[in-house]
Amino acid sequence: MTRGRNPLLTAFAILIYAFLFAPIVVLIIFSFNVSRRNFVWLGFTTDWYPKLFANGDLLDALWITVQVAAIAVIVSTVLGSFLGLALARNRFRGAGSAEVLILLPMVTPEIIMGISLLIFFTQLFDQNGSLGQIAIAHITFCISYVAIVVRARARGMDPHLEEAARDLGASSTGAFWHVTLPLIAPAVGAGAMLAFALSFDDLVITSFNAGVGSTTLPIYIYSSIKFGVTPQINAISTIIVAVVAIALLIGWRLGTFRSDEGRRIDDAEAEAAAA
Amino acid sequence: MVWLLGFFLAPLLIIFVVSFGSNDATGHITLANPGLQNYVEATKPEFLPAFLNSVRYSLLTTVFSIGIGYPIAYWISRHGGRHKVLLLILVMLPFWTSYLIRTYAWMIILRDNGVANSILQAVGITDEPIPFLNTDFSVILGMTYGFLPFAILPLFVSIDRLDDALVQAGRDLYASGRGVFMHVVLPLTMPGIVAAAILTFIPAMGDYVTPDLLGGAQTSTIAKVVQVLFTSGRDWPYGSALGFMLMVITLAGTFLALRALRQETFG
Amino acid sequence: MTNDDRRPSIDIERELVRVMAERRITRRQLLEAIAAVGATAALAPIVAACSTAGASATPATTPGATPTAAASLAAASATAAPTATPEPTPVPTPEKDLFIYNWDAYIGENTQSQFEKKYGIKVHYEKFPDASTQMTKIRSDGKGGGYDLTYPASTDVAPLARDGVIQPLSLSLIPNIKNLGTDWQNPPYDPGNKNSVPNYWWTTGIAWDPAKVKEDVTSWAALWNEKYTGKLGMLDDQQECFAAAGFRLGIKPNTTDDAELDKCLNMLKQQKPLLRKYTSDDIGDFTSGQLWMTHAWSGDWVQMTYDKPDAKYVIPSEGAIRGNDVMVVLSGAKNPVAAHLWIDFNLDAKVSAANSNYIGYMGPNAAAQQYISKDLLDNPQLNPDKGVYDALTELVTLEGADLDKYTSRWTELTS
Repeated sequence: MTRGRNPLLTAFAILIYAFLFAPIVVLIIFSFNVSRRNFVWLGFTTDWYPKLFANGDLLDALWITVQVAAIAVIVSTVLGSFLGLALARNRFRGAGSAEVLILLPMVTPEIIMGISLLIFFTQLFDQNGSLGQIAIAHITFCISYVAIVVRARARGMDPHLEEAARDLGASSTGAFWHVTLPLIAPAVGAGAMLAFALSFDDLVITSFNAGVGSTTLPIYIYSSIKFGVTPQINAISTIIVAVVAIALLIGWRLGTFRSDEGRRIDDAEAEAAAA
Repeated sequence: MVWLLGFFLAPLLIIFVVSFGSNDATGHITLANPGLQNYVEATKPEFLPAFLNSVRYSLLTTVFSIGIGYPIAYWISRHGGRHKVLLLILVMLPFWTSYLIRTYAWMIILRDNGVANSILQAVGITDEPIPFLNTDFSVILGMTYGFLPFAILPLFVSIDRLDDALVQAGRDLYASGRGVFMHVVLPLTMPGIVAAAILTFIPAMGDYVTPDLLGGAQTSTIAKVVQVLFTSGRDWPYGSALGFMLMVITLAGTFLALRALRQETFG
Repeated sequence: MTNDDRRPSIDIERELVRVMAERRITRRQLLEAIAAVGATAALAPIVAACSTAGASATPATTPGATPTAAASLAAASATAAPTATPEPTPVPTPEKDLFIYNWDAYIGENTQSQFEKKYGIKVHYEKFPDASTQMTKIRSDGKGGGYDLTYPASTDVAPLARDGVIQPLSLSLIPNIKNLGTDWQNPPYDPGNKNSVPNYWWTTGIAWDPAKVKEDVTSWAALWNEKYTGKLGMLDDQQECFAAAGFRLGIKPNTTDDAELDKCLNMLKQQKPLLRKYTSDDIGDFTSGQLWMTHAWSGDWVQMTYDKPDAKYVIPSEGAIRGNDVMVVLSGAKNPVAAHLWIDFNLDAKVSAANSNYIGYMGPNAAAQQYISKDLLDNPQLNPDKGVYDALTELVTLEGADLDKYTSRWTELTS
């Protein structure tokens, strides 16, 4: 009786998903707008899609953004997870101040963080902005988000489990890999998804750390607002959504998303059907 | 840790130092007269409306994000079954498009001749367009929308970990659904709620882009003031001072709230 | 070139001499070039130059060119030249790339591709969303942030030059500068155009939608009209807003007198409850119908008319701001020759007119006037007579304590 279907809750959930996707639907529709400035709907056309593929600058910006996000996600997830774990266990001396430290990047207004990094890089390293610099900036704030999510999960975890595994003969890394990691895996995954969204969309910090040749998609778009964001941008966003949606669909069909209990349910159903 | 120290503390220190300096006649930063005058300036009462706005928006955004996020996270965890991960990723999917485009889409929906008003007028509920856009409403809506995944993810992580056995036991103890929730589920998922609150409230205080795009003349935020000081005001020391004050206040507020919560739940 | 068909030999010789003199290649260099790459290749650029209007710069196929004496161009040229004869300074070889930092859609649709085709230089056009980002970026390392060329406001030229962020121009590489009207050869912010070349000028007035605003708009007071509460906009620019309030009160813009500024502040405070927003996107907000009447730039109004053809613009009777922006070469530019060629290219009469026609801003290019579309030229609000134009005021770049006077009041107003 643990999972009685609650129709009210389900209805609410559907409503919220609708809320989440409402602007996406609008975005997709307006990628077919005739008007170059895309403020009002003037008519239907698919012209923007081919134009998009001819727009080298926009595609470059997208590629750079993806690269930065990939680097930022990988590094910050790894570092952030360890940080979150350590904080959850309160094992080390500087725990209190470390807690404050991880909150700092989030509290700092983006403009202050952007400018301080800019000064840091130009004065101390004579760097003029580059992809690497942007990645470093992103990693810095992403670590905090990942750490907090992982810490929340690890907090409730029995700290003795890993010890127990080691008592039973596992090595340190083995214990970590086979015991701790699976337990915090959802948090790590969630942290990674957050980090990706954060990095992909970051505008303010990135604009201070981008240089010649390292324009990211958000910068490109924001710089276009003066004369109207053309439907090309909508088109590229639509394509991103489509690509991810298709990947999800494939993954779902292949069963990669089955969690343990999902498999149990499937097995139970299969048994019942066979019986 | 080393990373944070190196790449974060160091630049932050630079800004901190700068905040004690001042602008000389030609607008260049000098540290000739170090002092607290920037900080004193920053406590001007004129900034109060903007500051209060920021607090109000951030608090409401946090409340709504958790209020909406918790049921969703709960639903995915308890009713998602084998599709849990997929549903979770679906939550994130809108946020892998560009933030600016999503915000522009909201502008298209909310503006006077936008989708929302067109539907309302077509159905006959209203005759004149309702000014949704450039108001408190649109700002809070936009911010809540933007921070929703930041709330849902940590909430989910925490709720999903909930041991069914405990919930069962709770049902035996408390009979009513409400009782189970208040005394079993809620306290056990508190870490998730705390994490969600932190991940929402803190960045919301520093967000100036959303209120800038979706807001109007009356929806000023303190984050925007900081931004103006740095850009058209070209007064980095002053901007830094104000920025730091904002940070300190935000952090202090957060810690106070955390203290209060801990008293309650583990007392 | 009809003459050439009938008497080819004599006229080509004359043309040859003229072009060689213009581009300062000596006969000796030309002969060397012919020996090196063959007659057709060496003569081709000169023949091509004969058929284009105005002077053009060296394409990359001229071997033996020496760099000019200007220190900033020292690194530009790839090849050294025989130095036996003292030669008049020839045009150096341009680089392969050019990095421009500018507003979005600020040049004609085809300007960039035409330039690339003509000179074979790859243009990297990077954009900034607002002037503050631009300034922060180019000042970040004190010499341009890695870019070669950018478009600041005219009022920024003096501080940028003083701080060494931009380099003086090598006017010999910009022969098209003669296309500027006499008014623009010696602008007050940069006498002799030593450091900059004017690009567009504009006025700041009021744009409104006659379908929604029934009265005729002629005065700044219109933006204080309570009848349109919630549909009015002002630009999100502190100097422009204070200037507008100042005009309304009869106070000169750019004032730094505290009493006057306070009066302006009060005027603006009275206006604030009537406003929908302080807009940084006047085109978008107006076209989407959020604003019925707004403080706006003249060129932006032209853009508004693409989606709202009836939109009107006026330079209010109490006075208005006019401004212009410029092209400058940054001191850390790695491709200075290319940058100069770009400037020269954009000063060409036809190119300048194409730019103006596309984005709706008027240029200072007298020679281009004949190519600019009639709608733009004949509109007295967009292209006012000299009398009206001269009466307009320019904004001054404020710094330090003066700027603080504005900033503190602006943050007080907008908080």
